[in-house]
Amino acid sequence: MSFLSIQGLHKSYGDTPIFSDINCTIEQGEFITLLGPSGCGKSTLLRCIAGLTSVNSGQILLDGHDLVPVAPQKRGIGMVFQSYALFPNMTVAENVGFGLRMQKIAKDESRQRVNEALTMVELQDFAERLPQQLSGGQCQRVALARSLVTRPRLLLLDEPLSALDARIRKHLREQIREIQQELNLTTIFVTHDQEEALVMSDRIFLMNAGKIVQSGDAETLYTAPVDNFAAGFIGNYNLIDAEVASQMLGQPIKRGVAIRPEAITIGTDGPIAATIRSHSLLGNVIRYRVDVSGVELLVDVLNRDANDLHSKGKPVTLSIDNSAILEVG
Amino acid sequence: MSRAEVGLIGGLYHRIVVWLLFLILLLPLAGTLLYSLSTSWSATILPDGLTFKWYLELWSDSRFLAAFGQSLIVCFGALALSVVLILPLLFVVHYYFPKLDSLMNILILLPFAIPPVVSSVGLLQVYGSGPLAMVGTPWILIGCYFTIALPFMYRAITNNLQAINLPDLMDAAHLLGASTWKAALFVVLPNLRKGLMVSLFLSFSFLFGEFVFANILVGTRYETLQVYLNNMRNSSGHFSSALVISYFFFVLLFTWAANHLNKDKS
Repeated sequence: MSFLSIQGLHKSYGDTPIFSDINCTIEQGEFITLLGPSGCGKSTLLRCIAGLTSVNSGQILLDGHDLVPVAPQKRGIGMVFQSYALFPNMTVAENVGFGLRMQKIAKDESRQRVNEALTMVELQDFAERLPQQLSGGQCQRVALARSLVTRPRLLLLDEPLSALDARIRKHLREQIREIQQELNLTTIFVTHDQEEALVMSDRIFLMNAGKIVQSGDAETLYTAPVDNFAAGFIGNYNLIDAEVASQMLGQPIKRGVAIRPEAITIGTDGPIAATIRSHSLLGNVIRYRVDVSGVELLVDVLNRDANDLHSKGKPVTLSIDNSAILEVG
Repeated sequence: MSRAEVGLIGGLYHRIVVWLLFLILLLPLAGTLLYSLSTSWSATILPDGLTFKWYLELWSDSRFLAAFGQSLIVCFGALALSVVLILPLLFVVHYYFPKLDSLMNILILLPFAIPPVVSSVGLLQVYGSGPLAMVGTPWILIGCYFTIALPFMYRAITNNLQAINLPDLMDAAHLLGASTWKAALFVVLPNLRKGLMVSLFLSFSFLFGEFVFANILVGTRYETLQVYLNNMRNSSGHFSSALVISYFFFVLLFTWAANHLNKDKS
């Protein structure tokens, strides 16, 4: 039996459905990401699991017990918010110890557990600071320590990295993943950033318009999107409709196709004639926008040598491996 | 002319304007202070002599002391009522019914929108007789002053609540095991201290100097400081000046103490 099982969960505000018929199972110790665009219902789903938002129908079974009728205080769930939600009147140590204080844990034990939690997030020297004296990254680490110190059965992370700058975000996501694996803590992470989802998760639930459209590990989601939305949301796929694709590829194609930008090769003797429209440098990758009979395609090429750079307007040819052409839509 | 010179002249000009304004505001107060300390001051540029006798006379007048005490009672009573009613109201509005905030913003304007003379006539009609006859007692002033304090307190604490992101703090506290009561007590209330103190002191200074409602609704039956000042208008001008200066000094002292107590501990 799965550790967390969500069955037929439905939530609407008045006549507006937020999500409907959500079904999924999560195993003990898994790191799950709810990925989707803004307004797809992922944060509301997370809040429903936490008990902060009520559901209209369905069950949330944690370790076999239905959480729906249980108050958030009694669910044994830790949560980290995008806004940190640190208590401004309390020091870092008091913030982290708040949950233990509510559980009436003895002071000595509480102090020790607060220390352990702060050490885990490398903030043991900041115990007496106030939240307003910390940077965004430090605040979020305090929030993480605060949610871990009560030893929750389930950890929920609601876009915890969205308000941070790129470098800190990268460091913190590694730290979160390390801690999660060390504690073998079942975690649900909400994000709209596909890179974060691909790097951190054991499994990803891709959501759109209140539905889970695809779930699986990062590789499955990246290499085998089930529909246009999944292909468009993950990996910058080139989405081409059936008619154009038939002409371009010189073979009959019944449905639209999705082609990853890195699966297209630029050369001089390929079957598809194209013209370079523009290029942009993404670090180790050069992203070209090429024109094929009026259709624009994205092509990613490894940035090996400056001499390889194709200039704007240059006629080139493209070749695409048949196995990289996915029929979707 | 160089930029530095222009800046210097501009700075000087600004400084002169500020000092002039300061002088204009201070001059009547300084004149009153000097008058309250003078033995007599009528046909000469400067007073004939200086004395504390008006202050001694004022502070040994039992009627003044009673009015002073009664003003304090009415103000503190109204502010206590405000705290007891407005804090829970604000919490409920902002946490459970945020849409009500726009309605509250209209409601809190009413005490300002209706002139005091008009509303006191209304209050006289309603509370002059019948089961709620309160005119002439401090109770009607406490109730009436509560409505005057409401806008100050509502706005100041609302700003404070918006700054702390109340819903997220409550959610975080709930998930850490706190009941709504405990979350409000340990997390929300300590963060409202600043807004609450500022609005209390602002309201106090305002209510302590209130005259129209006090005069019409209660008058001499429960004399407050401003009504007493009005009733003493025919006595010596030196005496009245000592009263005005004492009032200013008290409010100043109170505001200073409030600021001092309210200094950010961090």
